Amino acid sequence: MWLPIFGLILGVILGLLTDIRIPEEYSNYLSIAVLAALDTLLGGMRAYLQNLYDEKVFVSGFFFNIILAASLAFLGVHLGVDLYLAAVFAFGVRLFQNIAVIRRILLAKWTKSPEKNL
Amino acid sequence: MSLKLKSKHFVLSLVGLVLGFMIAFSYNLTKEKAEKPKMSDKSWDRDFQLREKLVEQEEKTRKLQKELFSKQAEVTSMEKQISKETENYSNITKEMDKYRMYLGKVKVKGKGLEVTLDDGDYQSSGDVNNYLVHEQHIFKVVNELFISGAQAVAINGQRLTRESYIVCNGPVITVDGTQYPAPFVITAIGDPDVMEAAIDISGGVKEQLVNENITFSVEEIEEIEMEPVLGSK
Repeated sequence: MWLPIFGLILGVILGLLTDIRIPEEYSNYLSIAVLAALDTLLGGMRAYLQNLYDEKVFVSGFFFNIILAASLAFLGVHLGVDLYLAAVFAFGVRLFQNIAVIRRILLAKWTKSPEKNL
Repeated sequence: MSLKLKSKHFVLSLVGLVLGFMIAFSYNLTKEKAEKPKMSDKSWDRDFQLREKLVEQEEKTRKLQKELFSKQAEVTSMEKQISKETENYSNITKEMDKYRMYLGKVKVKGKGLEVTLDDGDYQSSGDVNNYLVHEQHIFKVVNELFISGAQAVAINGQRLTRESYIVCNGPVITVDGTQYPAPFVITAIGDPDVMEAAIDISGGVKEQLVNENITFSVEEIEEIEMEPVLGSK
């Protein structure tokens, strides 16, 4: 249970400590990738709460979404179309939807559990 | 089951690692980026300040230009005044030339008259003094010449000035410290007709001097040149 959290903390520390400079025009891709990662994570959480969780889908989706988002942004830059906006929009909408679903499920659980306790 | 759980945790931790790394890295990156807009903000401020300075300078320049124009107008009017004054000065210079001529400070040249006075022929009877040219004779001639419009007078080439003195000293006459014997040649620059008429007038200088046994001759000369009086003030 603690291993994933430890991994997260380790990742944050590594990210803060790395002194790698990447060109500014690529920072957009990274932002999109982060957004994709967050979206996938929340999607996974929702799936877990809905008992639809599949590890393979989650992990493959996580990495695939990151790469896809980054390459979409890359393509957009090279085509002169702001395709990263599409990614931001899509991931943003799904992010909010996922959060909403998670919140409802948690709310339902929270309202049910006191009844159980009672 | 336990192995499966472990592998599950491992995969999840890998996901967490990547996520954490990406978030942290992105955070770092945006933080750096955020510093740049601040810089540009500063530069914008600076730009604004410089612009204001520029506007200020332009206003100053305009003001100074106006001042310059007004000064130029002033200078032009001053120059006009100066040119007028210069005209006046040139008039004054002409006058000065004239007065210098009168004072004997410059060389003069012109038509004139030459009056020669010589001692009369002494006939061994009577006082010899009655036959000599005396200072009063010369005074008379010189005064008559000046009165009739002589601009410059000289005795034996010695130019007379307003400070000149003529003293009778025995047989010679001293003009400004220089002794001259007879005959005395008095040259005068001026209108020769007027001067001659003034001298020849009946009862005038010529008659008086001839009555006093002095040999008197008058000659008109086309051009007389007189050197300036040396050492004159």
